[in-house]
Amino acid sequence: MPPDPKAPHVASIAQFKAALRKAKRKNEHEPEINFLNITAMLDMMTIILVFLLKTMASSSGAIPQSKDLALPASVLQTEPHQEGVAVVITKSQILVGDDPNPVVVLPTRESLAQSGLDAKYKKAGINDLHIVPLANALLSVRELDKQIRMAKGLDPNSSEAIVIVDETTPYRLLMEVLFTLGQSSFGKYHLMVLSSKKPKT
Amino acid sequence: MAEQKAEAKLSAGQRSKIRRLAAPQELSADDEAGELNIVPFLDMVVNILMFVLATVAVTFTATIETTPPSSGGGKVRIERADKALNLTVIVTNDGVALKAAGGNISTGCDGVGPGITFPTKNKGPDGEPVLDADAITECVRKLKDSSPDFKEETQIRITASNNISYRKVIECIDAVRKDKNGNDMFPDVLFGVPR
Repeated sequence: MPPDPKAPHVASIAQFKAALRKAKRKNEHEPEINFLNITAMLDMMTIILVFLLKTMASSSGAIPQSKDLALPASVLQTEPHQEGVAVVITKSQILVGDDPNPVVVLPTRESLAQSGLDAKYKKAGINDLHIVPLANALLSVRELDKQIRMAKGLDPNSSEAIVIVDETTPYRLLMEVLFTLGQSSFGKYHLMVLSSKKPKT
Repeated sequence: MAEQKAEAKLSAGQRSKIRRLAAPQELSADDEAGELNIVPFLDMVVNILMFVLATVAVTFTATIETTPPSSGGGKVRIERADKALNLTVIVTNDGVALKAAGGNISTGCDGVGPGITFPTKNKGPDGEPVLDADAITECVRKLKDSSPDFKEETQIRITASNNISYRKVIECIDAVRKDKNGNDMFPDVLFGVPR
């Protein structure tokens, strides 16, 4: 029987799908970017921040300037030496390495300026330069440093010290500390100063 | 023409269904809020970064290399001791005295003679002598230039009175390290213990 010309047209499934695909393609458009993607930049900045914080924490240049410790200014512009045992002389105490406990608690500046530390800290009286508590503290530090130097292939017979001294420290106390370091097999010292074009007077 | 023909085959219901399915889908409320708002966090990170950079910039340090101090009249360590200047700077409350192999440098740096080379003219607020760094530099330059034998000498001994502060010692080291033209004079420092 021939098809009825007045009957409504019904497309096949294939025709329907083809028409649907065509309509979808026609309506497709690129997604509109209405915000800035800063995630990559944020990642980068976080990495830089962590790197800077870690670098600062491990750098010997990160000396906290406070009322108890102020470094003297110098015209010296060289790079600070990074390797060595840190010996810190503040206005009130002497510290060795990373130990926050003071090796010696210092008396007033007036008494230090006369003859250095009290006789009770010395091996042979007040005129002696050898500070016994400091030498004892350096003994264990020296052993550790010796192992490190051997592992690094450096000469283990002598260690190096980074001496961080408050600017008001009397010369006598400085000599006592340097002398004790010398007696404890520390053969080279790096005195830390603040780099400035013109030192303050 | 062919398209019209194809569409012509679709019934009204099919066309309606195609329009509905092909319409671009609107993002749901959940999808629109999917991006995390990290702007406050970013502000904080930038602030911390600026603070860290600013803090680093003000703490430049340097180190002065030296060896254990020697007491008394130890000499400068060079191979030709007979041709050495053996310069020693002694910082006291009365001024700065210079001592060379030939003897004590007289007041005003006028050759060998008695007296303190640079007597203290005034004292600072901390009660310590004010050093005339320029005069010390000039005198040391003059002494170093006095003989070609001293040209290669780089070591100097620094000694001070017990009460002289570390700051004054560093000032002295700076004064003898380089001349006013920036040329090296005595960059290697040895400390001496006063007798």
